[in-house]
Amino acid sequence: MVNGLTLGAVYAIVALGYTMVYGIIQLINFAHGELVMIGAMVAFTVINLLAAAGMPPLAVVLIGTACAIPVCMLVGYAMERLAYRPLRQAPRLAPLITAIGVSIILQHLAMLVWSRNVMAFPQIIPLTSYSFLGAIVTGVQLTIVGLCFAMMAGLALLVYRTRLGTAMRATAQNPQVARLMGVDVNRVIAATFIIGAALGAVAGVMFGTYYGVAQYTMGSVLGLKAFAAAVLGGIGNVPGAMVGGLVLGVVEALGAGYIGELTDLCRYGLGPEARCADGGHFVLFGSNYQDVFAFVVLILVLVFRPSGLLGERVGDRA
Amino acid sequence: MSPVLLELRGLEVNYGGIRAVKGIDLEVREGELVCLIGANGAGKSTTLRAICGLLAPRAGSVRYSGADTAGVPMHELPRKGLVMVPEGRGIFAQLTVEENLFMGAFTRSDIGIAQDLEHQYETFPRLKERRTQTAGTLSGGEQQMLAIGRALMARPRLLLLDEPSMGLAPRLVAKIFEIVREIAAEGVTILLVEQNARLALEVASRGYVMESGEITLADVSAALLANPKVREAYLGEGAG
Repeated sequence: MVNGLTLGAVYAIVALGYTMVYGIIQLINFAHGELVMIGAMVAFTVINLLAAAGMPPLAVVLIGTACAIPVCMLVGYAMERLAYRPLRQAPRLAPLITAIGVSIILQHLAMLVWSRNVMAFPQIIPLTSYSFLGAIVTGVQLTIVGLCFAMMAGLALLVYRTRLGTAMRATAQNPQVARLMGVDVNRVIAATFIIGAALGAVAGVMFGTYYGVAQYTMGSVLGLKAFAAAVLGGIGNVPGAMVGGLVLGVVEALGAGYIGELTDLCRYGLGPEARCADGGHFVLFGSNYQDVFAFVVLILVLVFRPSGLLGERVGDRA
Repeated sequence: MSPVLLELRGLEVNYGGIRAVKGIDLEVREGELVCLIGANGAGKSTTLRAICGLLAPRAGSVRYSGADTAGVPMHELPRKGLVMVPEGRGIFAQLTVEENLFMGAFTRSDIGIAQDLEHQYETFPRLKERRTQTAGTLSGGEQQMLAIGRALMARPRLLLLDEPSMGLAPRLVAKIFEIVREIAAEGVTILLVEQNARLALEVASRGYVMESGEITLADVSAALLANPKVREAYLGEGAG
């Protein structure tokens, strides 16, 4: 459960990047997962360098993250400017295919820069755990969940309480009229990409730190799961992405935790006797099926509630 | 005579693959309320869209406040006081009424915004009652008032109104035209596009009549109201 919440919080942050971009230009930016990966890779590079120099762990992680954020913002901006803006008037399929292309390009660039090898996170953070309401919680988990909630609150304030946020929502609803009000729509879209990229960078560092490794391929599965979370919450809906991410993380963790037990044929007296004797197990699906849950959820949502949990309630009478 | 604020010379605009505006000349002087009337599809809305930059002219020029608008990014025009209330109102349905009004003042950063907001609420008390509701829940008339109030939040010098009476009940149409008259009385220059020729000519001081992309008549409102051709074609009266 705690594990699920931690992962879920990270998914939520990544899902926000998908949903904000979708909300404003109806593009599913498949390259967003790659931004998360680049964030993790940049941060890990810096962290490994600094840790070798013997700096204090907290400072090392903070500096690593501080380096990853601007790099991701730059990549996010470049992506919008070079790949998507020229296709603004094109049919929707064109930018979608481009997004997949951008994703492949970024992934392979990362492979060239950082090689195929897994980059390990140095063991510099002491493992401290606390007992909280009967659950074991580590310091890293607490930090991740806390940071994610702080970022979500910050983003909600930005979107719902500031001039830029109002302009973003106005542009999402009607870009032409937003232009008539004097909004530079291209700048608002670029800002959306940059904010999403910054969130993605932090998510990448957290995800990498949590698992202790980073690799050039980590963006695709994480990206797809976050996309599933965004769809679960209702794509284009900012609170939806937050809820979707948390729900998905918990479902995945609980699912992975219990699937072995639930599909143990011996429990139902169906397993072969040789295996079931003396309380043995014959497990059909083990916890290595963890990744399946996100996609099962995605399929279920698409079949039964395509608009998502908090799907658009359109109050448009005009 | 007051100086010319808006000047169209030989304006040609293509829209949807056809030449919707075929080389028109039109001018609006500072402080005037001018209307552009004509049948559906005559090119009136296309003309307005070209003025505010939504469509690029094929030929000819749009001069606003003495400068050609060609090459000026569309989002710069509201900052210069050229503001349009689009056809179909174009409110942001999922933003609240108040957020819609604040969007009107997007280009401003002066301290007068809060005061102007109160001013809109005085003019449109219904909007004040519904300030926290999403704009999509408003009735058609309320949405039109919101669209006008939002445009006024930009403190326009020239207000372009595209079919403000469209789809509204007669009682509301009268109310909207009363408001248009008040805005003009406050010194805002207005170019009004309307299908309802009689009401438009009653509030405006001058009018242009547009037919299949060309301006066929231009005169002071009283003369147009008395013109037999106008009476027959646009005021629903027999020739005799």
